[in-house]
Formats: sequence, structure tokens, C-alpha cells
Amino acid sequence: MPMTSSAVNPQRLHQSRRSIFLALFIALAVVLHTMEALLPSPAPWFRLGFANILALSALFLFGSRAAWTVNLSRIAVGSLLLGNIFSPGFLLSLSGGILSTTLMTGSRAVFGKKIGPVGVSVLGAAGHATGQMIMASLVLLRHPGVWQVFPIFLLFAVAAGIANGIAADLLIELLRNHRSFQPSSLGENP
Amino acid sequence: MAIKDVWRRMTLLDRFLVGLLICAGVLAQIWLGSRPVGATVVVERDGRVVFQAPLDTPRQIAVDGPLGSTEILIEQGLVRIIASPCPHKVCMGMGAIQRTGQVIACVPNHLLIRIDGPPEETTAEHAYDLLSR
Repeated sequence: MPMTSSAVNPQRLHQSRRSIFLALFIALAVVLHTMEALLPSPAPWFRLGFANILALSALFLFGSRAAWTVNLSRIAVGSLLLGNIFSPGFLLSLSGGILSTTLMTGSRAVFGKKIGPVGVSVLGAAGHATGQMIMASLVLLRHPGVWQVFPIFLLFAVAAGIANGIAADLLIELLRNHRSFQPSSLGENP
Repeated sequence: MAIKDVWRRMTLLDRFLVGLLICAGVLAQIWLGSRPVGATVVVERDGRVVFQAPLDTPRQIAVDGPLGSTEILIEQGLVRIIASPCPHKVCMGMGAIQRTGQVIACVPNHLLIRIDGPPEETTAEHAYDLLSR
């Protein structure tokens, strides 16, 4: 039904919806990033990476740029909150995040619809593990011996990646059915 | 059921990628576990060797780092850190090592324990380094 706000530019409405969802994604990712640091963990690099669920959703709903925005903002704000910015933990987080996001956006761009959230998530998790290892062996420990823990680390990352991929798939499904994501709602006031 | 649901949510390529990564991880782990047992324990602080001993002689030593003294135990051909002044004790959690190339690192206390092969190999290498540099 036509409403008084029909003068709203549909393009602008779409843009603001996108901004609001991205802001929500970043906020949620920061919370997950921070909460995860409170979980007991056998080693500082054993992370479940729940925050990546939001980056995955951003990638599938809004594209590559959105995924980069979510992950980089999450690492910056999350590290500020944890008070570990520019510490070894932060460097590990950043190098893992950069390689992981590169692989995720890259695989989505290359494989398109053939790859789902689980595949992208698993690649992202493996990229995160590899990025952290590269940082640890080149900058923090300066010894190639750290690669001995890589296989275990990788298997753990793949398991966490599958779980996060499923979670992201559920979230994407939920959001695609949301009114804001219906093409018909574009420019219509609900 | 749950597993079936997970399977349904994956595309063909997703399944292939998961399988590939799991295989890579398992194979790498098998390969790492098949390396020969080492002969020498080397302790480095910031890249400098501060302690060296054969792996087959049981002993307990204390090595100083910036945070304090780290206790290292060599026993039954295994090396482990049994006490450390670092905050998270990750090095103690890394357990015992015995194979060539394995390391235990304590990043906060700047210490790295490494297992080397037979000593004659290392000395020959060092001698050669002196000549070539």
C-alpha cells in the first residue's frame, strides 16, 4: 500500500539498510571476538573463530568489500577492547584475518555459486591458521620449528570452520527470508 | 539427523575442500610423527645457544630468561618444561618432545628448546660454517 514515505529513494533505502546490517554484523563480531578470548584455550592460537560467522554472512549477503569491512573492523575494535592492540596476539589475529579474508573473498569470486558458506568458511579457517603460523614463524619466534603444530592446528581449524559455516548458512537463510532482503520490499515502506 | 543436515548444507565443492584439507592435515601429522628420534637438546635464548645436552642423559636444569627461571626436565629421552614464570604456561602445555626438529617455545620468556640430530653432524656443520664465513 502506498504510504507517505513513497518519496524515499529506493536506492538510498537499500544503502541505509545495508549500512545498518553491516554495523550490526560488526557489533556482533566484536562481541564474539571478545567473548571468545574469555574461553579457556590450550594455546593462544586455538580459536574457534565464531566472529567469522558475521564476515561470512556479510560476504554472501553484501559482497567482498563488506566481508573486509566486518573482519578488519572486528579485529581493530576487538583488540582495543581486549587491550592487546599491537601485541603478539593482535599480530597473530591480524595476519590470520588478512589471509583468511583474502581466501574467503577470493574463493567466492572464483567459484561463485559453486561454493557455499561451509566451503568458504573452511578455506577461511585454514587461511587463518596459515596466516598465524607465518606470522609466528617469521616475526614472533623466528624459528621454522613452530610448523610442527600446524597439522593439528589445521585439523582443529577445519572442524571449527565447518561449524561456523553451518552457523553462517543458517543466519544467511534466516536473513534472506527477512523483509529487508526481499527484492519486492525495495523502496516500499513496510 | 545432524550429520545429514550438515552434509545437505554443503555444495559439492565444499565437500571436496573439507576432504582435501582433512587429508592434508592427517598426512602432514603422520609425516611429522615419523621423523627420527633426536640426540641433542639445545636451548636458545633470543637465538643464542645457552644450553646443550644429550637427550639420553636424565637431568633437570634451570635456564634464565627475562621473566625468570624456566625449569627444563630431560627424562627417558623426552624433554619438557616443568615450571615457567610466564603468565599463560603455554610452554608447559606443549608437553614433551623427542624427535629431530621438534621445538618447545616459551615466547614470553624468550626461550626455545630444540631437538637436534646426532652431535657429530652438528659439529661438522659448525666447523664448516667457520671456514665458509
